Amino acid sequence: MLDQARTRWHPIAAAHDLPLRHVFHGQLLGREFAVWRADDGYVNVWENRCLHRGVRLSIGINDGRELKCQYHGWRYSNRTAGCTYIPAHPADAPARTITNRTFPAVERYGLVWSATDEPQGEVPEVAGLAEGEFLGLRGIPVNAPADRVVARLRGYSFQPSGRIDGNDAEIAVEAAGDFSVALRAREGGAETLAVFFVQPVDSNRSVIRGVLNSDAEGAARLAVLRHHNERLSKLRDAIEQEAAQAPAPEPIAPQFERLPAELAEMPELTAHGRKAALRVQVARKWQAADGIAGFELKPLSGLLPTFQPGAHIDVHMPNGEIRQYSIANGPGESDRYVIGVKLERDSKGGSVCMHESVREGDVLAISEPRNNFPLRRDAVKTIFVAGGIGVTPLLAMAQALHHQELAHEFHYFTQGESQLAFRDRLDGLKGTLVPHLGLDPEATGAKLREILSVYKFGMHLYLCGPGPMLETARKIAAEAGWPEGAVHFEYFKNTNKIDDSSSFEVALARSCMTLKVPAGKTILEVMREAGIDMPSSCEQGACGTCLATVIEGEPDHQDVYLNDAERKSGTKIMTCVSRAKSARLVLDL
Amino acid sequence: MQQSRCTDPVILNLWHPLAALVDMQPGVVFDTVLLEERVSYAHDGQGEAAAWRSFAGLPAGAAVEIDQLVETLPVKVAYGYLWTSLGTPGELFPIPEFAEADRRKLNAATLGVNVSAPRAIENFLDMGHFPYVHTDILGAEPHTEVKEYDVEISVERDEILATRCRFYQPKASTVSTEGADVDYVYRVPHPYCSVLYKSSPADESRLDVIAIFLQPIDQEHVRAHMMLCVLDDENEDKIIKRFQQTIFGQDKPILENQFPKRLPLDPRAETPIRADKSAIAYRRWLSQKGVTYGVIPAAT
Amino acid sequence: MITLYDYELSGNCYKLRLLMSILGIDYKTVPVDFYPGREHKSDWFLRLNPLGQLPVIDDDGFVLRDAQAILVYLASKYDASGTWYPRDNPELLGQISQWLAFADGITSTSSAARLHDGMFYDFDIETVRAGAHRLFRILDEHLWFGEQEGRDWLCSADHPTIADIACFPYIMLSEEGGISRQDYPAIRRWCDRVKRIKGFVVMSGVFPAGPAKAA
Repeated sequence: MLDQARTRWHPIAAAHDLPLRHVFHGQLLGREFAVWRADDGYVNVWENRCLHRGVRLSIGINDGRELKCQYHGWRYSNRTAGCTYIPAHPADAPARTITNRTFPAVERYGLVWSATDEPQGEVPEVAGLAEGEFLGLRGIPVNAPADRVVARLRGYSFQPSGRIDGNDAEIAVEAAGDFSVALRAREGGAETLAVFFVQPVDSNRSVIRGVLNSDAEGAARLAVLRHHNERLSKLRDAIEQEAAQAPAPEPIAPQFERLPAELAEMPELTAHGRKAALRVQVARKWQAADGIAGFELKPLSGLLPTFQPGAHIDVHMPNGEIRQYSIANGPGESDRYVIGVKLERDSKGGSVCMHESVREGDVLAISEPRNNFPLRRDAVKTIFVAGGIGVTPLLAMAQALHHQELAHEFHYFTQGESQLAFRDRLDGLKGTLVPHLGLDPEATGAKLREILSVYKFGMHLYLCGPGPMLETARKIAAEAGWPEGAVHFEYFKNTNKIDDSSSFEVALARSCMTLKVPAGKTILEVMREAGIDMPSSCEQGACGTCLATVIEGEPDHQDVYLNDAERKSGTKIMTCVSRAKSARLVLDL
Repeated sequence: MQQSRCTDPVILNLWHPLAALVDMQPGVVFDTVLLEERVSYAHDGQGEAAAWRSFAGLPAGAAVEIDQLVETLPVKVAYGYLWTSLGTPGELFPIPEFAEADRRKLNAATLGVNVSAPRAIENFLDMGHFPYVHTDILGAEPHTEVKEYDVEISVERDEILATRCRFYQPKASTVSTEGADVDYVYRVPHPYCSVLYKSSPADESRLDVIAIFLQPIDQEHVRAHMMLCVLDDENEDKIIKRFQQTIFGQDKPILENQFPKRLPLDPRAETPIRADKSAIAYRRWLSQKGVTYGVIPAAT
Repeated sequence: MITLYDYELSGNCYKLRLLMSILGIDYKTVPVDFYPGREHKSDWFLRLNPLGQLPVIDDDGFVLRDAQAILVYLASKYDASGTWYPRDNPELLGQISQWLAFADGITSTSSAARLHDGMFYDFDIETVRAGAHRLFRILDEHLWFGEQEGRDWLCSADHPTIADIACFPYIMLSEEGGISRQDYPAIRRWCDRVKRIKGFVVMSGVFPAGPAKAA
C-alpha cells in the first residue's frame, strides 16, 4: 500500500504550522521535509538536507526570502531552492545547478499537501468540505502505521459541533479510503461532517489531520477543538497500545538522489553559448524613472532559474537585437526578474524596441541569468556607487546586504530627482541610500573623492555606471589607497575602439586544437566555427561571460571587464574582443 | 573466540581509544562499547593497563588485579589514553609534541555523539563553519572566506596533511581585542583520529596541539575523546577544558542532524567546494583504503 | 556582584545565564568541572551545596541553589519591569510554580537522556525518553491551544515569564538525548519565540533564531 502512496497527495502540515520566519520539520513516507513559508506567502517543501554536507535544513533559518543552512551559511532561494551564496567563497557565484530537491505544495482545507514522488491528479476535493468554511483540528501524531490508524478511525465517535455537550451522537461512515475517513455525527437536529486525513509519516508513524465542515467562533470553537483533541488523544493511546503488541516495521530508508555529475567536483565553467533558453512574459511594464522603463518578467510555466545579485540576462528582442540587462530583484523574489531599460535614442535600436514595441503580455526570449559581477558578503563595509541606469545590479546587491543587515552605503548619481529609478526599492534601503543629484563631472569627481577617502582593510567597492564616471571613480579609488582586489566594477558597454587587424594562432590546450585567427574575426567566432561551445553574452568585452584562462602568450586586451592587475598578469582573456600580441596564445580550454 | 560484529578488516586492525587514564580509578573495572562489542578495561595506577571482552563475572565497578586476567586484548597507553584493538594492530601514529615537557596535556572530555566517526573527522577538518557554529569564538560574520590551502596525502606516513590553512578569528588570543587570521595545520593519521595544530596565543613560535580520537561504538555512534596538548602557563585545567567543551558542544547538534549519518564516499552524494579540499582528500583516502565501517562506500 | 557557579554544557546553569542576560544583570562565573572532573561532588562545592548539584549563586554572600529557585530570586529582586515573576498576581504566580515543577520533570527525563547519551550516565534510557515524550505531548497540546487563544507563552500573560526560561533549555537540548521534537510543532514554534526575546543568548547546542519579520 505504501508504494502506491508515493504518487498520492498527502497533507504534511497544517497551514498554521508555517508562521513567517519559521521552518517546519515534516516527513512523509520516511522522507523528511524542511517546509517554510516565505514572506511573499509561497510555501516551500524541500528535502530536509543541505546539498553540501547533509545537515537538516529544518535547523536552518528562514529569513523571509531565503533559507540559510545552519552549518556553513549556504543560502537557498525561495521557490527555486537554488543556492545563491556560499560564504566560504565570497568572490564566486555558486554554480546555478546547486539546487535542492523540491516537492509540490498545495494549500487546501487549512492543510499543506505534498507528495514524495510526482503526484497523480489533483489534491483531493472532498464532498461536503468547502474552502473558507471549515475548522481544522489539532494534528495528532500517532506511533502506529497509517492503515491501523485508518481502521480505528472508522470507529471514532464524536459529538456534532452544535451539540458538543451531548453524548449520544449517531455516527455514520460517509466515505473511507486508504488514507482518509469521513464521518458524520448526528444528534437532535445538529450534524457535523468530520474528515480525517491520515498522513503516513513513516512505516510506524502517522499524523491524524482532521477537518470539520463548519467553523465556529470564540468559546464554542475552542470547545469543539478540545472535544476532538480529547477524543482523538484517547483513540491515539488505544491505537498505540495495540500497535505496540505487533513488532514495529522497519523505518523507510529514504534514497537520496545523486547530484549532477558536474557538482561532484568543483564546477568548471559551463558551456552555454549565447542561448535564449527561457521564455518569459512581460507581466508589468511601467515608468521606473524619466527615460527608464521597468519590466517584470514572469515565467510562462514552472520556475525561473535561481539568480544572484549582480547577475544579468540576455534579452532577445523582437527586432533581432540582443541586449544585457542586470536583474534588480532583491533576494528571494524568485517568481520574476525585474529589469530597467534606459531609452538610448542613438543606439542600434534595442532600447527603443523595449520602450516602444514591447508591451505587457508579450513573450520574450531570454538567457538564463549569468553572474560575472558577484557580490562578496564578507566585507566589513560595502560602498556602492551607481551612475544612472548602472543602479540595477547594485540595487540587487544592496537589497541583499540590507536584508542580511550587513554594513553598506549606496551612492546613487543621477541628473535629477526624476531620474531616480525603482523608488520603492530605494525606499526599502532606508538609511543607506545617498542620492547625488545634478552634479557636473567636476562636482561628481569631488564627491567621489569624499566618498572614497577612507579605505579600511576588509572594505569593498562596487561601481556601475557610464564609462567616464567609472574611469574617474577607479582612478580616485586607486589614489585613495583602495587595492584593486577591493574595487569591483561593471561597464554597460565597451566604448574602446576595437582593433581586430592582427592575425595570430590560438592553441586550445585541453581540446588539443590549434586555430588560426585572421584579421576581422574574433577568437570566439573562430572557436565557434571549430565546434567549441563557448558561453558568451554581450560579445563586446563588457560582461565577462566568455572569459578564458591564458597558459602561454601575451594577450592584447581590448575589453573593459578585467581590472589592471588581471590585465598585467596576462592570465585571463575575454575571447569576444581581445586578441594576441604574440604570434601564439595557449588557452586552457 | 567470539565473532566480531564489525567485518571491516581495516578498522578491526586499528588501535582504538577507550578512555583517558585520568578519568579511571586504578584497580576498578570500567566498561564501554567498541565496534558493537562490550569491552572492559582497567589500569593499576602504575602504568599497567588491560582490556578484555566483557564477561559477567567481572562487571563494571568490581575490583580487579590486572595481572590475574587471561584472554586480554592488545593494549597501549598513549597520549594519556588507553587504546585497544579487536584485531592485530600495527603502530599507533606519532604526535611528537606530546613529549615536550612544557606542554599541558589534558583530556578535555569524552563525549558521546550520535554520528559516524568519519562525519566527526570531516567536521574537525572544516573551517567554513566557524562563523556559523562557533560564532564570535573561532569565527564571525562577515569574515567567512576559506582561503586557499594545501592538502597532500603523504604516502610515506599514510596520512592526510592540510597546510597553510588560515581563518579569521574575531579575538585571536586572550590578550588581543582585534581579530586576525589564525594558522592551522591538520593531520589525519588514522581513519578515526585527527590532530590539529593551531597558532598558540602564549608562544608565537610554537603551535598548540588539539586532537580528536573517536571510539566507534557502532557505525553511527561514537565516543569522542578530545586531547589537548597546549602551551598555557596561566589558566587552570578546567578553564582550558571548558573552552574545548564549549566548541565541541556547538558542533554536536550539527553532527547529530547530518544525514545520512554514515559518511557517503560516492563523489556525487554531496557538493564539495574548494574549501572542502581536505574533506575530499579524506573521502578518497578512506575509499582507497577500502574502509567500509562508518561510511557508505561508493558503488563500484 | 552575583557569582554563578557554572558549567557551560549545563542547561540548568544556562537558565540563569539566559535570565541574567535578558534582565541585563552583571555577573561573574566560577567554572565547575562537572564532567569529566565531577567537581560538583568535591568537598569545596559540597560545602556550598550539600546536594552536589549545579547551579549555585552567591549574591554578595547570599547563597542559593536550585535553578528554579534562583530564577524566582533573580526575577523578584532584579526585574524592574515586574513581568518575569509578577509578585502581585496570584494566578500567574500559581501558574509559574506549576511550570517550574514541570521543568523539574523535563530535567529528570530529557536532561537525563542527554546525560546518558553524551556523558554515559547510568539511566534507563528508554524510560527517560518515554517520560520526556509524555511531557512534550502535554506541553505541545498546551501551546497549540494557547496559539488558538492568542497566548504565546506558557502562562496566561501576554509576556514571557521565568516559566518559559525554566522549560526552554532541556527542551531545546532534547535531541542530544535522542528525543526528536518533530512531533511537537507547537513546541518548535514556541522555541523560536523564546529565541527572539530581547537579550536572548545561546549556549553550546542552541542556535539563535533569525530575525522576526519587521512589522
